[in-house]
Amino acid sequence: MGFSLLAPLFLAGLVALAIPVIIHLTQKTKKEAIPFPSLLFLSRVPYKTNRRQQIRHWWLFLLRSAAIVILVVAFARPWLESDAIGGLGLESAREVVVMVDQSYSMAYGDRWERARVAARGVVEGLGPEDHGTLVLFSDRTQVVQDHAGDGVALRAAIDAASVSAGVTRYALPLQVAEQILFESQLPIREAVLITDFQRVGWEGEDDIQLPQGAVLRRIDVTEGEPTNVAVTDITLDRSYRSGRERVAVLARVVNQGQDSVGNAQITLSIDGEQTASQAISVGPNDSEVIRFPAFAMPQREVRGSVQIADDALPVDNSFRFVLSPGQSISVLVLEHANAGRDESLYLTRALGIGSEPPHTVNVRRVTAFQPSDLDGRSVVILNDAPFPRGTGGRRLREFVNDGGGLLVVLAARSRTGSWPEDAIDLLPGAIGVPVDRLADRGGTLSVTDYDHPVFDVFCAPRSGDFSEARYFRYRRVQDDGRAAVLARFDDGNIALAELQVGNGKVLVWTSDLSNSWNDLPVQPVFLPTIHQVMRHLARYAPQQPWFTAGQVLDLSQYLATGVSDIDVAELAAQVELIVESPKGDREIRQVGNAPEYLPLDQQGFYKVRRPEDADPLGTIAVNLDITESDLTRLDPEQLVSAVTYQGTASSTVNLAATLTPSDKERRQGLWWYLLVAVLLIMVAESVISNRVSSKGS
Amino acid sequence: MKTSQFLDPKVLARIDNLDLLARTVVDGFINGLHHSPYFGLSVDFAEHRPYTPGDDIRRIDWRVFGRTDRFYVKEYEADTNANFSILFDISRSMDYTSHVVSKLDYGRYLAACLAYFSRQQRDRVGIVTFDTDIVDYVPASAKHLDIVLHTIDRISAKQPGALEAPLLKVAEMMRRRSILVLISDLYEDPDTVVRALSKLRHKGNDIIVFHVLDPAEIDFPFDEAAHFEDLESGERIPVVPETLGDQYRALMNEHMATLSDRLIANGIDYCRFVTSKPLDYALFEYLSHRERMSRVR
Repeated sequence: MGFSLLAPLFLAGLVALAIPVIIHLTQKTKKEAIPFPSLLFLSRVPYKTNRRQQIRHWWLFLLRSAAIVILVVAFARPWLESDAIGGLGLESAREVVVMVDQSYSMAYGDRWERARVAARGVVEGLGPEDHGTLVLFSDRTQVVQDHAGDGVALRAAIDAASVSAGVTRYALPLQVAEQILFESQLPIREAVLITDFQRVGWEGEDDIQLPQGAVLRRIDVTEGEPTNVAVTDITLDRSYRSGRERVAVLARVVNQGQDSVGNAQITLSIDGEQTASQAISVGPNDSEVIRFPAFAMPQREVRGSVQIADDALPVDNSFRFVLSPGQSISVLVLEHANAGRDESLYLTRALGIGSEPPHTVNVRRVTAFQPSDLDGRSVVILNDAPFPRGTGGRRLREFVNDGGGLLVVLAARSRTGSWPEDAIDLLPGAIGVPVDRLADRGGTLSVTDYDHPVFDVFCAPRSGDFSEARYFRYRRVQDDGRAAVLARFDDGNIALAELQVGNGKVLVWTSDLSNSWNDLPVQPVFLPTIHQVMRHLARYAPQQPWFTAGQVLDLSQYLATGVSDIDVAELAAQVELIVESPKGDREIRQVGNAPEYLPLDQQGFYKVRRPEDADPLGTIAVNLDITESDLTRLDPEQLVSAVTYQGTASSTVNLAATLTPSDKERRQGLWWYLLVAVLLIMVAESVISNRVSSKGS
Repeated sequence: MKTSQFLDPKVLARIDNLDLLARTVVDGFINGLHHSPYFGLSVDFAEHRPYTPGDDIRRIDWRVFGRTDRFYVKEYEADTNANFSILFDISRSMDYTSHVVSKLDYGRYLAACLAYFSRQQRDRVGIVTFDTDIVDYVPASAKHLDIVLHTIDRISAKQPGALEAPLLKVAEMMRRRSILVLISDLYEDPDTVVRALSKLRHKGNDIIVFHVLDPAEIDFPFDEAAHFEDLESGERIPVVPETLGDQYRALMNEHMATLSDRLIANGIDYCRFVTSKPLDYALFEYLSHRERMSRVR
């Protein structure tokens, strides 16, 4: 066995061996004489000096000498040559990363049980010198490490794990494994991937590569060709007949298998009761859309689900949704007393189109405006009309302060003097004279803030061209710095500005909307722009019928819109909300004005309610990410070759060749064991010497 | 020191019990000590024997003559007023102790007990203390118990000791046969010891030797090397107990065995007392030994 020392100079400390030799050879003679009755017999015994130099207490002497020798050797930092590492079992120490797929496709048949058995087998195979890491992954990862060598934590994590609602993403666990194996100091590094090798989970990431010498071992839990039918999507077709809203549900069924599915029953359930059932046949690798009969929408929120007969992967056979009565935006258009007949024609026509949301539009002369006209309104448009005076004006001001929306259109009849003093702060500045661009064939508009809700739908390329419209005249408005400018004309004048007034919003448009000062109303972007403006001013937030697992939900929306009985002071403070998950878990969240996000990671219906209320503030339907339903397999070799270091050599050999003596000494850490031995020897020495002393005394 | 300190009630209680045992069995401890060498006047009738010329005609039993017409003389068991003397070695070696009780103290307790006990038997009690010479001499007398105890009380070991010379003087002073108890550590050559005691023995004295030793003198439990100092001579020698211990113990055992053999061979009782043993236990052991010896005789 090769044995070397990193700091042999410390062996000079062996001189200290003389200490126990001297101690044990030198018989300490008491200075005080021991009185004895008679030396009659002692004087008869032959006295030899050399007898006094004999070592006594051999055990103590050997222990003390051994302690000094071991201590000196420990300081010399010994290490064993590579061929001797086997004596310590270090050459077989492994760093093993076990990656177990827990995406919902693992619920197919007995895949999950087989995966757990395989993972347990790998963990059981870990030795006391091995390091094990368990990575449970889907579209997120959970890492459990166990360096104790007993695998208890890993086994417990495997037993506690279950199939999640996530989708497969191989890049995540492989990155974790890459990091762990890269940082590991153990000679053998191995990653074990236990999965069903779905093609959707691997996008050919080329930035993941396990370190040199590391091995990726794969355990495939699939068996045979999978078949899977899933409800992948629904569409809610709303219509109004005789003043009542009717909803028809259209469901898309996809057959991912190679065999056709015939006469499978698909049912629609509303609030837990089956309302319709039909038979459906879907060919191999094909899809079908089925339309259920329309039903009258009640004036409340209902829960619905579309369910197809179970197969080997039942979790994707149902699709859940929450249906709310259609919401409309009520708009009041106030015109100037001298406005023409068609002053608001383009505006009202634009608002009359569309059902998500529908708009309820009323047009009034500003002189005929009554405070009661604001009841139930979401948005008021001052279409080139002055701000109302008197009671109506104060009421309109309160309306804005309380959260109502106001769109001010400044055109030919709008002047600063036409606005009362107490409403002048609703404008971004003083209204100036019109700018005439007829000479240069009209100006153009450029949006300065595409992140604003009004324009964010146009931010993508070819989503809307505002430069097509020509603006021949517009009002110059002196910007006093209080407003946020959302769009400007090409000469820098303000085109659209926004002011926050109380809880409400005011948008000021400095040209007209009647196709007189500009041709915007006849441009394609007009209608969506008007709709976006109305949604923004009305704070319209369409209820999402369903979420996909993995998304998050902002709970603060339930305080802002769904809870009318919470006053402003309470909103400023934290409000307690209870979230019930589909599995029945209850979670209490403190929600205030700041966003409070709830991760939706379970399939089913979440409920959000206040502690004192039995009825939920809202119900959230969560469906699985349907991409995981595609069970098409990936060639495991493709994945392995993509992430494994090419030209792998024996990791042990490479390691031994690259390690310096200092590295070997540090990895073996023999000095630590020697110090422990010294400690034990000194304990034994103390016990023995105490016994000798007590016996002597 | 008060007399009662020597007469420890617990010790005496044990000895009293032993006395009853001795009386019941044969001669007991005291009788065993002094079968009277004389027939004398006593109230205890012993036997009749035919008159021989020279006998005191006052001792002729006339009643027997009247009945048998022959002269018989009445003989009586002599009274137990024998002399009981303690020969106490008070040399400095006796002052040694390795634990609580020194050999000198142990000897004092022993002497006091024996003196008291003998006086209970109406013996005449005396004591002789000596080192190289006689230090105190209290002749045996029925009235000397207090003096004996007082002498024991004020004993102190100050001088080196010797055995032969003082015992020779004792032999010269003792005119009447006595029971002599020698208390000593006997650091003398066995020949010297036997020679010194033989003179007393030849004068008809009954001699009992109490060899008092400290346990350290027998076991030699020392561990560390040191100079050992002779208590009597003051001489010092370096000693490594580990190497000398075994030889010392062998010599000591040989010495004790030789003493025992030689003394018994000369009709002298020998008993070894170790100061670590209780005093009453030592006395009991001795009495048992005497009992066995008396049966042999």
